[in-house]
Amino acid sequence: MIRRLVLAVAVMLTAAACGSGPSVTEDGLTKITVGVIPIVDVAPVYLGVQKGFFAEQRLELELQTAQGGAAIVPGVVSGQFQFGFSNTTSLLLASAQGLPVKAVASGVASTGEPGKDFGAVVVAADSPIKTARDLAGKKVAVNTLRNINTTTVGNVVAADGGDPSAITYVELPFPDIAPAIARGDVDAGQLVEPFLTIATGQGDRQVVSNYAGTAPGLTVGLYFTGSQQDQAVVRAFTTAITRSMEYASAHPDEARAALSTYTKIDPAVQAALVLPKWPSTVDRASVQRLADLAQKDGLLPRAPDLNVLLP
Amino acid sequence: MIRRLGLPAVLIGVWWLLSAGSTSFFWPPLSVIARTFPATWTLDPILHDVLPSLARLALGYTIALLAGVTLGVAIGSSATLRACCEPALEFFRAIPPPVLIPVIALFAGYTGWTSKIITIALGCLWPILLNTVDGVRAVDEVLRDTARSYRFGRLAVLRHVVLRGAAPRIVTGARQALSLGVILMVISEMFGADRGLGAAVVQFQRGFAIPQMWTGIILLGLLGVALSALFHLAERRLFAWRSDS
Repeated sequence: MIRRLVLAVAVMLTAAACGSGPSVTEDGLTKITVGVIPIVDVAPVYLGVQKGFFAEQRLELELQTAQGGAAIVPGVVSGQFQFGFSNTTSLLLASAQGLPVKAVASGVASTGEPGKDFGAVVVAADSPIKTARDLAGKKVAVNTLRNINTTTVGNVVAADGGDPSAITYVELPFPDIAPAIARGDVDAGQLVEPFLTIATGQGDRQVVSNYAGTAPGLTVGLYFTGSQQDQAVVRAFTTAITRSMEYASAHPDEARAALSTYTKIDPAVQAALVLPKWPSTVDRASVQRLADLAQKDGLLPRAPDLNVLLP
Repeated sequence: MIRRLGLPAVLIGVWWLLSAGSTSFFWPPLSVIARTFPATWTLDPILHDVLPSLARLALGYTIALLAGVTLGVAIGSSATLRACCEPALEFFRAIPPPVLIPVIALFAGYTGWTSKIITIALGCLWPILLNTVDGVRAVDEVLRDTARSYRFGRLAVLRHVVLRGAAPRIVTGARQALSLGVILMVISEMFGADRGLGAAVVQFQRGFAIPQMWTGIILLGLLGVALSALFHLAERRLFAWRSDS
């Protein structure tokens, strides 16, 4: 029994030690695993695989969904995924803690149009909260505490003359935020698409677009890799994902259609939701802005060196 | 005492040696974790994370204890009640409380203490309730009859015969419930929380503050040990009358 157990552990360890890393398929494609979050932001990847942009670069993608950047970053660093998608602030935190993460392409960005962005703070229709300033002293739900949504909400509240330190943030998953507002458990909530369209469809009112209000072309998310990556594979991935994002930007209807291949989404919401921007380059100034905000809120122990993180 | 501390000391030593000089980001050396500990758990997080968590645990656990023993005695004493309740009990005990968290939130609020206490109480209830039912059923009928024939009142029978007879099983259930309660205390804070020990550990992990995350896990373990020691102490006090304990 013990011998069998030792054997099993040994096999597991060996498998863990040499199981990952890109392999080459029969038709000469390099197989890579990409960690993504099943949200609107990553529609271009799914569209790009459909359109064959990755196969053109001799890549075969396996897309693995995870809860969020906090789960994808360790996956990429340990080699379980070769590439991943994460919000910019999580990557800044990881980079500042010394994790070897390197952005390879822009991921998703704000539309830059207040009121017509893919992320915003919403309140109940009859709420006394009219502008960002009124959020001070209130309870605001976010999907992750101490991350991009708290720093950007704090920023737009401060910009409107409110005291961001007086906001109480509560962590709730996106689907639970609108019900919590309806019950009155929280005064407001930060939502992204498609939850934003669902909430406004139920009568909630947008107060402020926290991404567009922070920087017009705010780079909200990035594709990244770890340190042990073959440079040729990185170049191929960057080319393919950039092409995919350009295609998705030029063909928004196809990007919308791609959503239903990886999420369960109501067709009415799918048609109505605000698509984000998928720019082909990282807006460096906006990443610096996010870094400054994170440092101001005490999320970063020291100022991050953007040259380490950004391509 | 030496025998008790032997294994933990060996385990800590092995961890210390194996992790010394570790360069893996997610497995920092134990020496680094130990150095991080005092800086992480200062007065502010103890007052605003640890104590509220423990207070919720205490409240939820107490509710489960009172409800579990009361219901357990009632169900255990009455064959009719038992027959009526058993299918329902089996149904509810099979539902893991973490699954119910979003449902509890709908009724008891997404934020605040109520839904978290309900989650803890619901999880702790089952081992106490089921063990009490079994313990009460196992009380010797002859003992009950004897007590009654000596004209013990209902309350006296309950107190001196039923509860005392069922006590060992109740304690077993209460001990199981305590460890469940610690787990549920952490899980309940992963949803709709702003502060708390479980919430703090998750936030450290998300911020890639890995040594700090490990200190939180160690603190949870230490709390588990302390609570179990406290339980042992209470048990000894309560059952001082029993010759075999």
